[in-house]
Amino acid sequence: MADKMEKNTKKKSNVFRHIVTATLGNPKTQGIAIPIFTILIALIVGAVIMAAVGSNPFQAYYNLLQGCGLAPKESYATYRSMLTDFMNFLSYLTPMIFAALAVAVALRAGLFNIGVSGQMLAAGFTATILVGYSPLPAVLSKPLVILIGLVAGALVGGLIGFLKYRFNINEVVSSIMLNYILQYVCSFLINTYFVDPISRQSKAINPQARLTLVDTPVGNLKMDIPLGIILALIAVVLVRFLMEKTKMGYEMKAVGFSGSASRYAGINVGKNIVRTMLISGALSGLAGVTYYLGYFASIRPRTLADTGFDAIAVALLGNSNPVGIIFSSLLVTSIDKGSTYMSSASGVQAEVASVITGVILLFSACGAYVRYRVAKMKDAKEEQK
Amino acid sequence: MNTVIIDGLSFALPLFIMAIGGIYSEKSGITNLAIEGLQGFGAFTGALAAVLVAGYFAGTSSVPFYIAMVFAVIGGTVFSLIHALLCIRFKANQVISGVVINILAMALTSFLTKQINATVFGAASDRFVLGVSNRLTVPGLSSIPILGAVFTDIYPFEIVIVVIAFIAWFVMYKTRFGMHLRACGDNPHAVDAAGIEVGKVRLAAVMVSGALSGLGGICFAYSISANFSSSIYVGYGYLAIAALIFGNWRILPTLGACLLFGFARSGGYRLVQILEMPSSYQDLVMILPYVLTLLLLVFFSKHNRSPRALGVIYDKGAR
Amino acid sequence: MSDYIVEMRHITKRFPGIVANDDVSIQIKKGEIYALLGENGAGKSTLMSMLFGMYEPDEGEIYIRGEKVQISSPNHATKLNIGMVHQHFKLVQNYTIAENIIMGMEPIKKTLGLFPTVDIKKANEDIRALSQKYGLEVEPTDLIENINVSTQQRVEILKMLYREAEILIFDEPTAVLTPQEIEFLLNIIRGLRDNGKTIILITHKLEEIKQVADRCAILNRGKLIDVLDVKSTTTKNMANLMVGREVSFTVDKKEPHFGKEILKVEDLTVKNRDNFEVVKHVSFSVHAGEVFAIAGVAGNGQVEVADAIAGLADAAGGKIMLNGVDITQYSIRKRTMEGISYIPEDRQNYGLVMDFTLSENLGLKEYYKEPFSRKGILNKKEFDAYADKLIEKYDIRSGQGKKTVVRSMSGGNQQKAIIAREIELDSPLMIFVQPTRGLDIGAIENIHRQIIGERDKGKAVLLISLELDEIMNCADTIGVIYNGEIQKIADAKTLTTNEVGEFMMGVKQHG
Repeated sequence: MADKMEKNTKKKSNVFRHIVTATLGNPKTQGIAIPIFTILIALIVGAVIMAAVGSNPFQAYYNLLQGCGLAPKESYATYRSMLTDFMNFLSYLTPMIFAALAVAVALRAGLFNIGVSGQMLAAGFTATILVGYSPLPAVLSKPLVILIGLVAGALVGGLIGFLKYRFNINEVVSSIMLNYILQYVCSFLINTYFVDPISRQSKAINPQARLTLVDTPVGNLKMDIPLGIILALIAVVLVRFLMEKTKMGYEMKAVGFSGSASRYAGINVGKNIVRTMLISGALSGLAGVTYYLGYFASIRPRTLADTGFDAIAVALLGNSNPVGIIFSSLLVTSIDKGSTYMSSASGVQAEVASVITGVILLFSACGAYVRYRVAKMKDAKEEQK
Repeated sequence: MNTVIIDGLSFALPLFIMAIGGIYSEKSGITNLAIEGLQGFGAFTGALAAVLVAGYFAGTSSVPFYIAMVFAVIGGTVFSLIHALLCIRFKANQVISGVVINILAMALTSFLTKQINATVFGAASDRFVLGVSNRLTVPGLSSIPILGAVFTDIYPFEIVIVVIAFIAWFVMYKTRFGMHLRACGDNPHAVDAAGIEVGKVRLAAVMVSGALSGLGGICFAYSISANFSSSIYVGYGYLAIAALIFGNWRILPTLGACLLFGFARSGGYRLVQILEMPSSYQDLVMILPYVLTLLLLVFFSKHNRSPRALGVIYDKGAR
Repeated sequence: MSDYIVEMRHITKRFPGIVANDDVSIQIKKGEIYALLGENGAGKSTLMSMLFGMYEPDEGEIYIRGEKVQISSPNHATKLNIGMVHQHFKLVQNYTIAENIIMGMEPIKKTLGLFPTVDIKKANEDIRALSQKYGLEVEPTDLIENINVSTQQRVEILKMLYREAEILIFDEPTAVLTPQEIEFLLNIIRGLRDNGKTIILITHKLEEIKQVADRCAILNRGKLIDVLDVKSTTTKNMANLMVGREVSFTVDKKEPHFGKEILKVEDLTVKNRDNFEVVKHVSFSVHAGEVFAIAGVAGNGQVEVADAIAGLADAAGGKIMLNGVDITQYSIRKRTMEGISYIPEDRQNYGLVMDFTLSENLGLKEYYKEPFSRKGILNKKEFDAYADKLIEKYDIRSGQGKKTVVRSMSGGNQQKAIIAREIELDSPLMIFVQPTRGLDIGAIENIHRQIIGERDKGKAVLLISLELDEIMNCADTIGVIYNGEIQKIADAKTLTTNEVGEFMMGVKQHG
């Protein structure tokens, strides 16, 4: 049945096929063309929703950019400019890059780390209570925060990997369980020992321990300088090197593509699963400290950061490619970050941002199918000639 | 003791009906991690229907609740079509598809709830207030010592769930459709060779899963949370999946797992009350089902056998 | 009314890059056994797939009982009383025989006079009766996972009969059977014909055709070469027509020169996931310059023996010695380094990482060593140079050379890549499991020559195959396995095919 329908539509849509193969058909540019296609669809869906609730989508999208410091607003408060908005955006972008790298590394090894948010919280919470409240000077506390984040995240990630390797527990289920456990345990500890009675969040950390330098006077501006962004860019390069150039990356990819063939080749599959999750968890940990001890300075109990989930969209959109992730995280983060300003400026609910991200995710999940269809269309076209 | 049983059952049964949905989907060969999103979306449509009709009924009437149930089932089913489309038609990775649907459901329902509250009811709220469903006690049976608690203060939905669960069991093991469905999860090529369309059977299975998840979702909304908001997404769907894994993809053992979760939770709450601990200790009780899940998975994952063709993309050409 | 029950006229079917059937016309009489002979890829299966509604022909017409039909689906074919037993059985493992047979056409009863349910009792009775009528000897309530291959095949036949098929297509039905089981099957086929059924037999085995078929159509590279009356022709003649050139049935090989003992397996026991012993106290040894072949029906533990030697399965008991070193507790990697090359049965799931490039796959066993990597960093140039060398030496063909993703390569070339990689490891022990499965005659001959070549280089070769011909052709020593136990080990020259077959069935006792 379905095949027949396909045939019929095929006959009718010669033009469509031509357009599709011309734009998406080239395997060299496909890696970029398909994500762009996905984004366009998501933005159109978003526009339709906004138009349906009576807002001007173009205005709203422009507001998004304004909210991220990517387009000028009409007026700014004292000490503020487009540049300060942009720096603030970078501070928010930093954890996203780490989180997306965490998802991507796991995906390349065939693992689905949906526990990034939990790993972020574990890292952020541990660093907060161990270093955040200590009077250590910045030169000591900042590296310590990073180190603790790295280790705490890696431990949680490694546990998920261990459970999969040793007990055959699906990593998605165990990550989710750990997400909830960490969320409630941290919430309990915060509410019992570290709560700020006014904000109902954990007490703010010392500025020395914070990875974003807040309100630093530069010229006549006061801006946030995210130190983590440099680390994030280094991480991108390192992950790329790891996956493409090293023996370890070769093994991880082999395990991701085929566990049985890897085992046959003498690769220790269990070790690679644990190792991958350690690396993925460590990256999540870095996302956690740049989030809770960078962009923010405290932790809200009983909530997980959306960053960990949006990172899945970012990684899929970026094809699990570290460089691709820089671009996709810019896009997804700008939608998320700009949504607050958009909401106040054009009255669209800020939640529409996550709907757009969700649609991006939805279409990214079909990426393999699109590639397959396009390849088939191309075959059919060549046959006709 | 009574409250432990009463609360335990009212938590376990909605979980159970979602798990049965999951069994349907997975027995047909489609991994379904989307239950979490499906129950949320179902609860959303149900709750929306309830608040829209609430004005036409007296405050104590239970009619809106039944309307909500019907719409939750419809909402869950419709949303499950996305999972079916991605997994069956687009041959997407089923795990990713499931998680994507969960994220999408959360985003969509939060947005729509706020938007509808703003435009229809003119209120800035992120929830639909539902109240708690009426309860009933079976006279006579409820006075049996200990076991009587099973018949005390039951939510009407618990009866609905037990009836539907029985029907689901019957359909799965006694009818033609059930036979085809289970075969799809073992060897879809055999089903295809018998002249049955694998895609259609799986579509139906995923839709059943959506319907039952929606039902489970609205039951939670009408009992534990008494409203619809994003607080519906606390992992009920994932607990249901864990339950069906312990249950080895069989309906009766899955009920056992759900009861275990339910009683662990209600027992924990009771303990906090009895020991007069501060309310922040509730957070520790909340983790009980999740910890239990992990522990049970440690013991059961290795021995349990998932359906042979589970998660494998069905391609007619490949053998 | 035409004389023919099936007529296919001027059928042409193209796939991207290949003409599978080129203007083929065949006519089949009611009540005859009609054989389709040809190599793998000659187009026999494609032709029958069109008769069974799996593909539609690009050109040409099909007539059934004199009426022109367009068979759009297997369902439609079933309605036209056409049935097919596929090479790979399509059975639900955790269902009973009866459940498998009735699926899609279940007898229904009304439970409580209201709810339609599957009447499994009636199904069991019907199938028992049908089985008896055709002498198929199956028990309807047995689970598929508990019955052997030959019985599974009879379940497939019953499926067709249950659907009242009149035209029965068998696709390579004897590939996985022992000589005795083949005899039994051929008798069933004769019985079916005597009951008025029309049989189409797809095969490349000439003996069978000679035994049962009335007429035989020969296909080569998609074209119909000839239709012969089987009684008045010779197997030699059929073979030459099939291949299009003179074929030699045996591999030329010199007398073996056994060297020292390379592999020694002592009292090996292997358990499966259900803790069930699938290999029981197996002992044998393989010498340098010897091809030791293990013969057996599928699923009798032979693959597990190979897996245990290579380290993919754990030995529950016993000892494995390689060159005098006890390797029983070694990891897979350590065994490879110790000197084992392994061509696995399942090349897509084990032999290759299908989404890696050819170059990456050719380095799969050596990537961790110099010069492929140094201090954890890969040397891509070295991979590519090595790949180019092997592609040239072993004639591995692919779309984009070393950069080709192996998933897109043909089965024959995938196998060439695996064999190239494993031979180049230069291990003293080479294990081949089902090395020619699914390949065409040319490729098979080539692989057999390579096996003998490795032997002559002084390697110890362990060959595991379900194809008795292959074993008789290549082996110096034959071990027969049945139910996880070695039944017999003997010099290949002292055994006949039939004797091996009897050991494979566990009929003949040790001695």
